[in-house]
Formats: sequence, structure tokens, C-alpha cells
Amino acid sequence: MQNFNLIGFYTFTRQEIHRFFRVGIQTLITPWISALLYILIFGEIVGRRIGMIHGVAYIDFVLPGLLMMNLMQASFSQTSSSLYFQRFLRHIEEVLTAPLSYLEIIGGYVIAGVVRGLMVGIGVYVLAFLFTITNINHIGLFVFYAISVSIIFSLLGLLVGLWANSFEHLAIPPTFVIMPLSFLGGLFNSLAMLPENMRKVVRLNPLFYFIDGMRYAMIGIQESDRRIGFLLIIGLVGVLTWLVWALFKRGYKVKI
Amino acid sequence: MITPALEIHHLVKSYNDLPAVKDISFTIPRGEFFGFLGPNGAGKTSTINAIVGIGNFQKGSIHVFGHDVVADYREARRHVGLSPQEFNVDAFATVRDILDFVGGYFGMRKQERRERSDTLIELFGLQVHEKKQFRMLSGGFKRRVMLARALMHDPELLILDEPTAGVDVELRHELWRMLEKLNSEGKTILLTTHYLEEAQKLCTRIGIIFNGEIVALENKDALVKDGKTIEDHYLRHTQKRSIPND
Repeated sequence: MQNFNLIGFYTFTRQEIHRFFRVGIQTLITPWISALLYILIFGEIVGRRIGMIHGVAYIDFVLPGLLMMNLMQASFSQTSSSLYFQRFLRHIEEVLTAPLSYLEIIGGYVIAGVVRGLMVGIGVYVLAFLFTITNINHIGLFVFYAISVSIIFSLLGLLVGLWANSFEHLAIPPTFVIMPLSFLGGLFNSLAMLPENMRKVVRLNPLFYFIDGMRYAMIGIQESDRRIGFLLIIGLVGVLTWLVWALFKRGYKVKI
Repeated sequence: MITPALEIHHLVKSYNDLPAVKDISFTIPRGEFFGFLGPNGAGKTSTINAIVGIGNFQKGSIHVFGHDVVADYREARRHVGLSPQEFNVDAFATVRDILDFVGGYFGMRKQERRERSDTLIELFGLQVHEKKQFRMLSGGFKRRVMLARALMHDPELLILDEPTAGVDVELRHELWRMLEKLNSEGKTILLTTHYLEEAQKLCTRIGIIFNGEIVALENKDALVKDGKTIEDHYLRHTQKRSIPND
């Protein structure tokens, strides 16, 4: 890449990561406690009565989905709130007046989103050891799904961070999109538990492919066509990157 | 021919359909201390925002040391340091971190950043406050941090948008001395201010913008040669346009 501002890019990324560590209770501890409660209630207490699904304990079945849901929310919240606050308090101007390309700026935000998403996801996985030992069957796929889905939700966070005109706007996607689509995307149940017409609807939910892909990577159970999942992920990363770059280049809501 | 520090040609900037800057052109040669004056809403900050990359513009071109601020924006930005009218900084970051991060954005290495920060912290008398969060500082010290931040990467063109607004008289005089020293060392300075005696003391050339148009662009010596002040000229240019004649 021509004239890549490596030190500038590294500095901006480091600053973004530093920002979420500054409020660690909100950004890391809270999702870990929330996930711990989910694991305890749905995995351990309710799960004992449900028994086995596809030959694994219920807690092992729901863990990949819980991990993925928390990872998506963390990545999304990182970039959306960071960009929105920087717009709101105007210190985005500090970055805009620096010799950083728009891709370097977007890259810095996204890496911070991925780091936060992975820290939350890995934390959820470690906490689950209090109740069960869930192996990771396909470590390469685990890393692929964790990072690529983090990138997607970090980019979505940037879109919302650009679009939002109030703090309330930031809460809309996690509450009305990520959580419901996760719950309806096979987080707590197998596709086989649903009637046929509901299965068709679930297959239209992109989060189903992310959760199912992670479930395959961790416990080897798969109910979706993995090729569709891969295409979806690659397509979303490409389209969202282009869209965010085009909006930054235009100065949409970041330039006066 | 030596490339000027700043060249603005036929700049047009509007907010939706409301024109803010109407086809203005001017050039600032290297080493000049240029005063950019005008009432609130005249178009000063809109022009500055267009130069530094904070604002878009619809027509015209801007070159900083020969670099187009749109096509070659990264190189153009390396030459400019901005002290903005409003504090656009992470209020929870410490003074030293603010300087360190900005130095990093401009590609300065760690050791270089540390040395430069030390120099600026000393220059602006921020030693006692360097570990304090920006939000904990008084208004005067916040202004000093803004100036130190603008100088962090040692830019050749310094743009100061009302740098002495809200600071006490002692600090204002101290800042004047600093700015005169920076200018004598070769820095080109574009200053906007509402303190016209400040412009008269510091600047070598004055541009007055009113309702988005440049209404005067002259050497200071020519303006004050008949015992008149910058304020006299300023009021003549702005009042004759804002008060309709009978």
C-alpha cells in the first residue's frame, strides 16, 4: 500500500483499544457476568432437565451461540459507541486532521472492535469451564468465525456510529436486531426442534449461519450449509468495508 | 518561484443551501503572519475547516505548500497544525497522552514523541499538569494544550482559530510572545481573532471576510499608515455592509 502510515495506524488502533480498557467494567466485566448468568440458568439449571441434543449436553450445545452473541455485541458496541462519542465530542477532528487514510482509520476502529469481541468471547469460553469442558474441534474454523464475524459487527457498528444522532440510536441494533436474531438463529435450540416452515425462516437469518458455524467449529454439530455461511461472511465483509469507506470519504456526518 | 504556504482559489462552501464562503481566493506566502478577521458567522472557521480536512467544500481548490488538500490530503495535512476554536480533544486523556497520540498519528517515533512532548510541556508551562486529564484543566491551560498539540509535529503552517479566546491578559501576552517567536523562526501563521489589537500587534497582512466574501486584503503597514487602526478599517468594511445607507 502506498505511503502506509504505519505508526499513525498503530497509534490510532492502540488508542481505540486503550479507550475500552479505560471502562473495563462496562466493556468486559458486564458481558462476562451476563454470559455467566446465561450459562448458569439456561445451560446448567434448565439444561439438566433438557438432556442431550445431537449427542451433546445442552450446556455444550448453547455455549457456541452464547459466545457468538456476546462477541457480536461487543464488537458492535466498541465501534458504534467510540465513533459516535468522537463525533459527539468532536475529537474525531483530531483524526481527520492527521495524515491517516480513511482505510487506516477504519482499520484502527475495526481492529479494536475485533480485540474487544475476542476478549469477551474468550472470556465467555473460559467462564464456561466452571460448568463444563467444551473442546474446540476445529481451531482454524473457530478463529475464522470469531474474527470474521467480529469484523462484520465492527463495520456495522461504524455504520451505526455514523448514522446515530442520539445515544438512543446506539441501543437500537443490539436490542432490536442482534439479540432477537441470535435467539431466533438457533442459539438455544436445534433446527430439528422447529416445524419445517419455521426452519425456512431461520435459514433466512444471517446470524443462524454465524452461530451454526461456530457450533460446528466447537462441537462438530452443523445444521446449515457451510458454503452459504462462508459466502455470506465474505460478501458482508466486502460490502460493509466498501460502504463504510465510501461514507468516510464523503465525510458523511463526520465532516462539517 | 517559491511555493506559497497556502493558496485558496475560488473556494465555495455552503451548508445545505446556505452559503458560508462565496468564491474566495487568497494566498499566504511562506513565513507570513496572516490575520484572518471577520465577525461571527462570516466564514472564517468554515474556511479553516476546509483547509485542514474537517469540512467539505463544494467548489474551488486549496493547496498547502503545493499539496492539494483533497487529492493529496495526507501530505497536505503533514504541513498543517491546527489550534481550533473549540476544544476537540478526548477530555479523559491526560495532557501527555494527547501529545503522544497526535505525534503518533503524524508518524513520529516513540523517542521523538517523548522528546517533543517534553519540549512543548516545558514551553507551555504544563509540567505540573502533564498527568492530569484534559477535563481537569482550567480554560487557559486547555488553550495551552491546544497550541502544544498543534505544534507537536512541528508543522510549517500553523492555523490558530481564536487561540486567545477566554484567556487572561497575562497568558495572552505570553502567547503573543510565543507566536512572534515561532513566526520569527520561519513558521507561517494564519490567525483568526476578535481581538483586533492582537491582529494589529502580530500580523503582517490582514484579510477581512464578511458574509462569506473577502472584503479587504492588505498589508498591515498600509492599513495603519495614516494613524488609523485595524479596528477602524474593520468597522469601515463590516459596518458599511451591514448597515443600509439612507
